[in-house]
Amino acid sequence: MSHSHHMMTNSVDHTSTMPPSHHHPATAASHLHGGGDGNMMMMVHMTFYFGYTNVELLFYGLVINTAGEMAGAFVGVFLLAMFYEGLKIAREGLLRKSQVSIRYNSMPVPGPNGTILMETHKTVGQQMLSFPHLLQTVLHIIQVVISYFLMLIFMTYNGYLCIAVAAGAGTGYFLFSWKKAVVVDITEHCH
Amino acid sequence: METHFFFSDKVVLLFDFWDVQSPAGMALSVLVILLLSVLYESIKFGKAKLLHQNLVSMSTCTSQQNEETDQSSSSSSELPPASTPRLRWFLCHFGQSLIHIAQVVIGYFIMLAVMSYNTWIFLGVVLGSAVGYYLAYPLLSIG
Repeated sequence: MSHSHHMMTNSVDHTSTMPPSHHHPATAASHLHGGGDGNMMMMVHMTFYFGYTNVELLFYGLVINTAGEMAGAFVGVFLLAMFYEGLKIAREGLLRKSQVSIRYNSMPVPGPNGTILMETHKTVGQQMLSFPHLLQTVLHIIQVVISYFLMLIFMTYNGYLCIAVAAGAGTGYFLFSWKKAVVVDITEHCH
Repeated sequence: METHFFFSDKVVLLFDFWDVQSPAGMALSVLVILLLSVLYESIKFGKAKLLHQNLVSMSTCTSQQNEETDQSSSSSSELPPASTPRLRWFLCHFGQSLIHIAQVVIGYFIMLAVMSYNTWIFLGVVLGSAVGYYLAYPLLSIG
């Protein structure tokens, strides 16, 4: 494991065989780990930094090199975090709706004296093969995948992308939970 | 970067200046991470409780507003009654969103601290979560 402290210039290109020199430049140096052998250079940041050059994002080939690309990535991550919050609240609403809809099943049953009685079955929860449960499962998978993507984005330690995640989560919560809170207010305080 | 749990007195956590080299620094770092975990658990619980409190106060406030508008036919020079609870609700919801942002950011910070694979830090996170969860319910349910 070789430590190399160097300046945050545009093209950070170094080999792993450079001896660890402890010179502290004027600009703040981020804590970087160089990769193993000379073939593959992987820059793994272990502390927060602000930069928009040579930022790998999640997938092979998705590398940010300019300020414009960073701005686009910021907007994309922001929308992804907003979508995640909306998906969470949409799943809650769907679950509540599907549970209320099958809560009471009333069926007429012939009584002892020839009269018709109403038998009411109360079922809470969902059957396994019903459509709401399958939909919930699919949405759950999407939610898990997006949450891991957001975690991996935060793990790049890039300050701009982390701010995008936090701001997107806050905005998504603000926009989507507003409606949910109003619905909760109406339905739970009229009884 | 190691990818298995190890015991060490040296770690760099989250920021450049948080560079720990000695056992005393490590103990202090574990304490800070523990308090951060406690804060995270209490924020989780406090947000739900705050929402419940505001819903209750909103419902009582709106019922009082209805009584006032029924009794007094002439409108006073104050703000119309419909906008004040709405503004209060907006501020309450904005505050909830800020708390949510804090919760998300602290959650990610704790995840990154655990990612250092330092066993002491990990134990601090686990213990802090346990203490925070244990203390949140009785202490924040008062009233």
